[in-house]
Amino acid sequence: MTSDPYSARVRELFAGPDHAGKLEKRDVRVQTNAQGVRVALAADVDGDIIVGLRFRAWGCPHLLAAAEAFCRAFEGRPVSALQAFSAAEIMQTLPVPREKLGRILVLEDAVRSLGQSARLSPEPGKDTD
Amino acid sequence: MSNSTDIVYLDYAASTPVDPRVIEVMTPLFGVDGDFANPSSGHIAGRRSQEHVTHAAEQLAGLLGCSERELVWTSGATESDNLAIAGAARYRADRGRHLITMPTEHKAVSDVFHALAKQGFEVSWLRPAESGVLDPAELAAAIRPDTQLASIMHVNNETGVIQDIEALGAVCRKRDVLFHVDAAQSVGKLPLDLGSLPVDLLSMTAHKVYGPKGIGALYVADRPGCHVEPLIYGGGQQGGRRPGTLAVPLIAGFGAAASIARSEMQENHAHLRALNDRLWQGIRDLDGVVRNGSEASTFPGILNVSIADVEGESLLLALEPLCVATGSACNSTSSEPSPVLRALGRSDLLAQSAIRFSFGRPTIAAEVDFAVDRYRESVGRLRGIAPGLVA
Repeated sequence: MTSDPYSARVRELFAGPDHAGKLEKRDVRVQTNAQGVRVALAADVDGDIIVGLRFRAWGCPHLLAAAEAFCRAFEGRPVSALQAFSAAEIMQTLPVPREKLGRILVLEDAVRSLGQSARLSPEPGKDTD
Repeated sequence: MSNSTDIVYLDYAASTPVDPRVIEVMTPLFGVDGDFANPSSGHIAGRRSQEHVTHAAEQLAGLLGCSERELVWTSGATESDNLAIAGAARYRADRGRHLITMPTEHKAVSDVFHALAKQGFEVSWLRPAESGVLDPAELAAAIRPDTQLASIMHVNNETGVIQDIEALGAVCRKRDVLFHVDAAQSVGKLPLDLGSLPVDLLSMTAHKVYGPKGIGALYVADRPGCHVEPLIYGGGQQGGRRPGTLAVPLIAGFGAAASIARSEMQENHAHLRALNDRLWQGIRDLDGVVRNGSEASTFPGILNVSIADVEGESLLLALEPLCVATGSACNSTSSEPSPVLRALGRSDLLAQSAIRFSFGRPTIAAEVDFAVDRYRESVGRLRGIAPGLVA
């Protein structure tokens, strides 16, 4: 039994957010603001394959860890796979406390928007960070 | 550095380690060869235990400038606050049911007022100035003919802001209103002379002043109209005000801690001032950093700072292995912005980024320097991750 609110996985992702930052070449970029948090995602897409993912986030450690986990999991996969991203699944695997579901749903919204944008706008986007 | 080599502890406002000299006093009182007997027992062993209680009361009374008869032993400041506020309000309920406090009080105080409000009492919540300090004129204006009690803490547990309890107490005394002070953060750290201060009830605890956890006291002034109804029943100990077998080792420990605090107060205060200044000087140039609470009237054992564009919970984790607080310990698991900081006029965003650094006797300059480096590095890292803040 532990009183630590963060799992080892959350701590590792929070401490080493390798995907935090921006992509030199970004094809798709989305940002969502809700629940008192902000999430921005950027993807570099080659054909149907996501070759690079980056995030920026303002929020609690669980949100930052979830964003990093998402980026690690979806680089190298097809754009269509983004639809498979599930807040419920990441809540369970990290894990994330139930009271933070709203924040993880903001990330889910961002991922869905990223998937839609990637399908609609395959041409390179402008860097507006 | 802190005794545990894997942490740097700057959370002395939450709790302090027990002074080795206090442990030395307490240890012999537990075992069969020590004075373990019930101090209420009339036999020789009981009387020996009672002598430790009497001595501790003398030590604590010496620190506070009051009579030993005016002290009631409790389990800690939370119980003392409950006994003072609910006990006095109920005792004087036939005279009036209006009470006064502030939203910046510790939950051990504010939650008692919320409970009394549900029982038919009316509570006025006075807001401080942006400095955190309450103007005595505000208190005077809030007092009504049916006001029975005002409760204002001495040193705020989150910000360290010191209230002018002498001026506030004088206002209450003039209008025959009982004045309670939660002094959990100031007893043993700031001079208190209850023989001259217009304070009727004062709550304190041992573990904030290098004594053991589980023991506190309530000062009840020996003056007409100042009395508390007991919260629990079951025996005649302590004049029936707080029945139950006295915890002799803990009481002796509290007495020893009070005695040490009295003799070393001036030296400790200077030590805390130097540490506080060192930390603030190390971070004050950061963009968007603000100090919560008036610098001029803040206890130097606490430094509370907020910073723009940084999320508080992530900052707290990034600061590890630095042990600090985002608010009072009782609030540290809540994601709600601190009501104390909101009452000082801070926005929700600034309030949620607040970090409370608190220093103690064992704190050394190297720990403060570590805190400065860690804070600057963590703020930079989190701002670098936040959207729209980095080119």
